[in-house]
Amino acid sequence: MSTISYFLSRLLQIIPTFLIVMVIIFLLVRALPGDPAIAMADAKATAEQLEQIRQRLGLDQPLWVQFGIFVKNVFTGNLGDSILLKAPVTQVIIERLPASGFLTLYAVLFSLLIAGPLAFVAALNRNSWVDTSIRSIFQVGLSTPVFYIGLLLLTFLAARMRWFPVGGYGTTFLEHMYHLLLPALTVALYTSAIIMRNLRSSVIEVVDAEYVQFARAKGLPERIVLGRHVLRNALISTVTLLGLSIGNLMSGTLVTETVFAVPGVGRLMLDAIFARDYPLIQGLTLTFAVLVSIIFLLTDMIQAWLDPRLRVA
Amino acid sequence: MKKLLMATVAAAAMFSAVPSMAIERGGSLTFARYDDSTLIDPIYADRNPDIWMVTNLYDTLLRTEADGKTVTSGLAESYDVAEDGQSVTLTLRDGIMFSDGTPIEGKDVVFSLTRASDADLSPWAGLLSSIEEVSADGNQITITLNQPDPTIVLMLATFNTAIVSADAFEAASGETDQEKAQSIAIDGFVGSGPFMMKSHQRGTLMQFGANPHYWREGEDGQPLPYMDGINFLVIPDDATRILKLQAGEVDAAEFIPFARVGELEADPNINMELFPSTRIIYSPINTRETRADGSANPLADVKLRQALNYATNKDALVQLVLQGAGKPVSSGLMASTTQLATDNGPIYQYDLDKAKALIAEAGVPDGTELTLTILAGSADDAIILSALQQMWSQIGIDLNVEQVDGPTRGAKNRSGEFDIHTYGWVNDVNDPAQVAGWLGYYPTAKAVGTGWNNEEFNSLYEASNVEMDPAKRAEQYARMQAIYNEAAPLLFMYETPFAVALSADVQGYVQTPLGNNEFASTWIER
Repeated sequence: MSTISYFLSRLLQIIPTFLIVMVIIFLLVRALPGDPAIAMADAKATAEQLEQIRQRLGLDQPLWVQFGIFVKNVFTGNLGDSILLKAPVTQVIIERLPASGFLTLYAVLFSLLIAGPLAFVAALNRNSWVDTSIRSIFQVGLSTPVFYIGLLLLTFLAARMRWFPVGGYGTTFLEHMYHLLLPALTVALYTSAIIMRNLRSSVIEVVDAEYVQFARAKGLPERIVLGRHVLRNALISTVTLLGLSIGNLMSGTLVTETVFAVPGVGRLMLDAIFARDYPLIQGLTLTFAVLVSIIFLLTDMIQAWLDPRLRVA
Repeated sequence: MKKLLMATVAAAAMFSAVPSMAIERGGSLTFARYDDSTLIDPIYADRNPDIWMVTNLYDTLLRTEADGKTVTSGLAESYDVAEDGQSVTLTLRDGIMFSDGTPIEGKDVVFSLTRASDADLSPWAGLLSSIEEVSADGNQITITLNQPDPTIVLMLATFNTAIVSADAFEAASGETDQEKAQSIAIDGFVGSGPFMMKSHQRGTLMQFGANPHYWREGEDGQPLPYMDGINFLVIPDDATRILKLQAGEVDAAEFIPFARVGELEADPNINMELFPSTRIIYSPINTRETRADGSANPLADVKLRQALNYATNKDALVQLVLQGAGKPVSSGLMASTTQLATDNGPIYQYDLDKAKALIAEAGVPDGTELTLTILAGSADDAIILSALQQMWSQIGIDLNVEQVDGPTRGAKNRSGEFDIHTYGWVNDVNDPAQVAGWLGYYPTAKAVGTGWNNEEFNSLYEASNVEMDPAKRAEQYARMQAIYNEAAPLLFMYETPFAVALSADVQGYVQTPLGNNEFASTWIER
């Protein structure tokens, strides 16, 4: 199968995923106790007023009618109005997505820069004091809560030293780079620990493989053995892990977004759930589903490029 | 019947109260908030971050003084309630203008009040159900009522009756009234308050600029506001909001956790303010004979509810949760800052002997299990739980816990599927009718979900809502509070202030007992 037809067939697989997510999320949010009317007017409204709000939001309609409206809207590109923010869901998501995307890519870049070289150093000096110290340092990164690291960085580097702003996002690209440096670093401390561990063991595995020994036996210089044979093969499983992490980070940087006051979608999702804002929860989940599908697709493409055997799968 | 003094008298009184510190004009304030506003419109404001901002953008016909109780003049220079209580007439000030320079006229008042009392539009219309018709003749406004309403004057000083421009709504794009309100908020803002909406990036930054046409004068004889504008930053995390203030990136931070108040009070660069509020923290008790699952409910016995109240050391709770920045309630039905609140000192003072005697009289066996429903992730609720577990174990109550999120707690409150759960309240109106209706009057919401249904209380409440004699109404309220305290449908707990930390050079900022953020008289010392 050619690369293009493989790509297309994988692209088509997104459609059923999307449909299944739509059904699940529609039912799941309605299975939660409490509804948007309660969340909105809880301690103020009479039973009558709650009923009025439900009517206005169309929540008094049978479930299948609500689902029909939802599906029809989605296929005409309309995700409805957010109950909480009183604005179109698509508009709200478009406003908030860039900050999360920026933070995620920034964090992944940091993670690779930190984890890549150190994983190699650790693997090639396996079980020496170098390896042990690198691994212990990452263990600390892995086991310290994100909000704690975030607050430490904010307290010392931002509030005390004044090298960085205390949270926020800024308006220009350079401001984003500056404002998001600490949050990206915070996320990267965790992600890089996972990547480092994975890459280190892959490298160890590959270094001992017969084809690497063969490459050495051929008399290839160590630089080419490591670059062409070890790195490329060791990266295959790390790319999968990276894809999973990006998918996770896009929707899962909630804590970092809150601590650093980054206006992203993670925080928005939490607010939406607490407000039982059905249209916003549905819209965000569908957006995440599409994004994650695309990221996984890209991951597979990169893997196929790294390892031609996967292309027939 | 009641005529108002000229506003200048009030201003003069204020002037003499403030030491001779010269007001400085200009500059802008950066204010860190816990949450963002969504739609700041008098009738669509339904969450506190919206409600508490309305009067900065839209002025009301009447206003309340900083104590939140005394009514004074606003866009209307005077008001008069008819002898029979069936109508209110008001006289609009001369020369008042909206932020776009167009005059504020009778038709705007008619439009705004009609809109505010329309149940199809406003979630707050129930507070104005006595309004039959609003009409205008030149500067004279007449509000015709369908029954006497002792709350109407205070309602005209409340955010939901603030004045919007009829012409701006006419011209705004959008199909429905809410869409028009949205487009006014986003582009082409026209308002009547001291500030104007300049820009709003949702979830990040909201900017107000001074309204050049505002009428009310400051202490220097020039129109308010003193500042050129305000930038509101949304910083949801408590610790980050404080760091932002300490780093000098913002001039003020609201909702300071009480555990941090002491530390900020000690900082010479920071002015830590605790504004008196109408916020009460309490826990509704299910008073029904049977629980939702059909089992017998021991809490139906008033003696057990009283015993729990006596066994709860509220002073200790105030120390543990608020680090002392608050006080036990003195009226079970409302905060002591509310009009007509009776204040004979704290109720149900901690008394273990009384609690033990009552529980013995009630015949509640040792080891009886009750469940407290608390908010998952709330540090305050976690402290309350562990304190109550210890305190109540003294009288043989075994307290279990159930953790839920806000909407789930709300749903349980409505369906009666709880024993006791934590809750809180802040008045939106300073008249006691709103809070008493919620906490005690069965037809509104089953007395805050407790199922407590007391005929005498209900009929007193109904009578008080049409009682125009202030003395008689005060008596009715005193009696209602006595009945309520005695019946103990709640675990009575404490009231808390609003904690706002300001940079030491910020002067004149006020958060009213209702929570309204008042920036008109705020100025920055340079």
